Amino acid sequence: MSAWTVIAHTELGAAQANITFSSIPAATYTDLVLVVSARSANASTDDALLFDLNGSTANQSIRLLRGNGSTTTSASGTYLSMGYVSAANATSSTFGNALLYIPNYAASQNKPMYADGVFENNATTALQQMQALLWSNTAAINEIKLRLDSTSNFAQYSSATLYGITKGSSGGVVVS
Amino acid sequence: MPTATYIALANVTLTGNDSSVEFSSIPATFRDLVVVVQNTSTVPSQMSMRFNSDTGSNYNRVAMFGDGSTASSNTSTNASSINTQAEGQANSTQAAFTHIQIMDYSATDKHKSGLIRFTSTPDQPVTVAQAFRWASTSAITTVTLAGATFTSGSTFALYGIVS
Repeated sequence: MSAWTVIAHTELGAAQANITFSSIPAATYTDLVLVVSARSANASTDDALLFDLNGSTANQSIRLLRGNGSTTTSASGTYLSMGYVSAANATSSTFGNALLYIPNYAASQNKPMYADGVFENNATTALQQMQALLWSNTAAINEIKLRLDSTSNFAQYSSATLYGITKGSSGGVVVS
Repeated sequence: MPTATYIALANVTLTGNDSSVEFSSIPATFRDLVVVVQNTSTVPSQMSMRFNSDTGSNYNRVAMFGDGSTASSNTSTNASSINTQAEGQANSTQAAFTHIQIMDYSATDKHKSGLIRFTSTPDQPVTVAQAFRWASTSAITTVTLAGATFTSGSTFALYGIVS
């Protein structure tokens, strides 16, 4: 039995401001993984891909490590990000890609997460960024809302897939 | 129906404190292994990983870190275990999160390598990515996680990926 299940997938037929996964069941899975391919409609080269959980923008923190091809930097903040995606001034048809892993998303404890994102557009600007994330809230996660830092729309053909991972036992492996 | 490629092999949620968790009798059926740990510890502490109970100086790693202000990197060679949490740690109240992928774990013609992503606790926040190598051609049948007293409620899960 596969441990990964596709909970929901969307690909935008037209530009829109947010991509939201709601009514995520609490008891069905152990972990969540969100995979995003996105482009911003903002008139810039890149845009930060942000997200909120359960409609809350509070109690968010991030520590990130970024490489742009020549330097590495680290920064912190009070938001949740998956990295950067291409925007309207980037090479056409290029999209940023990112993965978010949320363990024990329904547990009654604060939620540590990681996310890795890449943005490359066959031009000078390119970014790779990895994030340590924490949502200091003990509620089960039932909604993930993606948004862009510029508040612009996600471009047409941006897509996102939410997976549920279910723990289990098989194959005779012993844990002690 | 598509072929299942990511299989849940074992898991445990601690009901009391424990100094180590071990996955053993891992079959050679899969291509890669994935270990997912969310743990707290009785004292701020890091987590080590060994394969097949090997305590020799056979573990090597390179890591990069971002602590919110500084980006850095270091290496460890010929160690007796892999420090999976590197510069970060778990403490008694906030869970740290570690995701480990072990490539080609059952091959007997190569050293074993893998990747680790780690998110630590707010009192020592850091994001870490590591690459490691176990200098052994033995197939991995046991994965042992230790080095800290894991607290009740800590979760450990093992998955196998089919090629």
